[in-house]
Amino acid sequence: MTGDASPLTAGALSAGQALLDELRSAVTDRREPGPAARHALAGMADPVVMHKAGRLLARLEPRGESLPRVRVAIAATCTIGAYENLLRAAVTGAGVLPVIEPGAYASFEMSLATAGFAGHGDPDIVALLIDESYFLPRDWDGGDAAALVRYLQTRLAAFRSLLASCLARSQATLVLHTVPIPNEVLDTLISWRGRASVAQAWHQLNAGLLGLAEEHRQVMGIDFAARLADAAFPARDERMRQYGDMPYTDGALLLLAQQVRRAVQAKRGLSRKVLALDLDNTLWGGVVGEAGGAGLEIGGLYPGNCYLALQRTVRRLREQGVILVLASKNDPEVAERVLAEHPEVVLRPGAFSVRAVNWSAKAENIRQAARSLNLATGSFAFMDDSDVERFAVSSELPDIPVISAAGEPAYLVRSLVQPGWFDVMTLTDTDRQRADLYRARAERSEFETGFGTPEKYLRALGLRLEVAPVTEYTLVRVAQLAARTNQFNLTGIRFDETATAGLNDNGDYLVGSISVADRFGDEGIVGGLWVQLGRRSWTVLNMVLSCRVLGRGIELGVVGWLARRARSAGVTALNGRYVPSGRNRVSAGFWENAGFTSTADGEFTLDLEKSTVDVPEWITLRERDGQST
Amino acid sequence: MNNESKIGDVVLDALSDVLQEPVGGLAAEPALAAHAWTSLASLEVLAQLENELGIVLDLRAFNAVRTVDALIELVRATANAAEMPAS
Repeated sequence: MTGDASPLTAGALSAGQALLDELRSAVTDRREPGPAARHALAGMADPVVMHKAGRLLARLEPRGESLPRVRVAIAATCTIGAYENLLRAAVTGAGVLPVIEPGAYASFEMSLATAGFAGHGDPDIVALLIDESYFLPRDWDGGDAAALVRYLQTRLAAFRSLLASCLARSQATLVLHTVPIPNEVLDTLISWRGRASVAQAWHQLNAGLLGLAEEHRQVMGIDFAARLADAAFPARDERMRQYGDMPYTDGALLLLAQQVRRAVQAKRGLSRKVLALDLDNTLWGGVVGEAGGAGLEIGGLYPGNCYLALQRTVRRLREQGVILVLASKNDPEVAERVLAEHPEVVLRPGAFSVRAVNWSAKAENIRQAARSLNLATGSFAFMDDSDVERFAVSSELPDIPVISAAGEPAYLVRSLVQPGWFDVMTLTDTDRQRADLYRARAERSEFETGFGTPEKYLRALGLRLEVAPVTEYTLVRVAQLAARTNQFNLTGIRFDETATAGLNDNGDYLVGSISVADRFGDEGIVGGLWVQLGRRSWTVLNMVLSCRVLGRGIELGVVGWLARRARSAGVTALNGRYVPSGRNRVSAGFWENAGFTSTADGEFTLDLEKSTVDVPEWITLRERDGQST
Repeated sequence: MNNESKIGDVVLDALSDVLQEPVGGLAAEPALAAHAWTSLASLEVLAQLENELGIVLDLRAFNAVRTVDALIELVRATANAAEMPAS
């Protein structure tokens, strides 16, 4: 990661050069940029490199199509300039190929009011680029700060109604940001009281902008002003503003573009779910095998406080649903004892869902951890202080972004959280409980080894399945599963919150949440079902199921439930589709297994007058009103 | 290290990059107006040069530039002036 390196260091320069070389060859070979280049784009803080990268990517015409395409429109109150290329480069770092559609100059209000953006039809994302000129009057009375404050309030109200008009017409997700107030405005006010009241009004304006993200599902907010305040470069260039209506420097625009990248990543469910961590010189200072538990740097004064801060941050990530895996080369007994007994350690052994402490290669340990968690290695991020280990993991498992814990320990927390690899749209109860769910799962797989046949095991599990129409409480989780589920995802259609809510309000559709519990605990909502309700036949638009619960017949139980419901509604056929995505092979034979017949390529049907789908006998179906069958 | 020729290379690279024109093409036709030298492109070149070389160009002098050589000359003069107090 080059996120916190000065662009002038030799290492960063060569990393930038390597990135540009890789992109140039991708353009020449007409292939999508590989994972190493995408991770570099996500972490690159040098605007010159990113501008060039964006220009190269604009010329990319790949033959294959494995990365998702995302249309990003830009609506700006100023000249878009370098932002188009910077945004293209940064958003590619999310693991997508963006199509950037910059709006025409001075079309900001019109395009928002009519939801008419540069491309044809709704883009996926509208990235707003707003400067102070939108909110400030062209001229104002220096002696009347109160009038300026009132004007700012009316402008926020105007923006609010403009946004509402756009949201009423468009399904796109709008990414807006707070706006820094130029020092020139504050310094023009010579009275301290007047200056404080204008500054306060400006903060309220920014708070109002962020409030819109809280109010509307379709809006995401970036606190650009706060992020600029913590950045090491100038935010504004007055020459560029006066000459070309370009208020922000390229550095500031890149900062914003990287935040939009995180928004795209969260929205498309491309964030990582697992953090694999090294121990020595990462979670604590020193090597436990040499220094012993008492000789480690953790807690107390510098540098031990840096490692403690990292452990606390990791714990906070875990509290939000990030699964932790330990990947350390050590004697397991020694490491385990320190984790369990050292008074300053915050992450006790139970915090980790998998502890791979041994002398095997870390890439192999990560592969095994992925298998036991039933997750792809691509859902991991890996943090280690050793250049050799990071290199070994990223060469073996290129999908895994590596986070450096080398060098100054004071930057450990920043290195971990700044790239935003774990961003999600909203936290659900399942996220908060995920660590415990995964622990229950480890217990479940130990339980499994004691049975002769899978059926005996499944019967002993005592599975309870509930399929229920989504409610405002379950909607977020169901949409999140649609975004994040790759393996059991029958058609790949990712209905987001807005689309799911829309279908749910429409009587011609049924949107269901799928919940599972067993003797080890409640898994919560693990899947979603989107069905179009015709008069004679019902068609499953998509069904997704978390890989956590695969292999237990849950999916058959869901279709069994749907068949019962369809029959009681007088419907005579159920239709389903399977669209291969390259990652959903696990669900390829699903419809045939459920007794459906293939009618066309990827299309299946079940004649409800002649046959039915049985809920597997080891599953108890629970209805919302409490009845069981 | 020959700073003078390094600056020349940086300017040519930036122009070639932004104007999508090989360095050879710029040498054959040094008049900037003969290439895609729009106001937006010129500001991209300005930002790139300033970021890469750590200098601040005089915007009026920059706008007055008409040829590749004149731009190299302006950048050299600015970089030399910036170095002066330290030497």
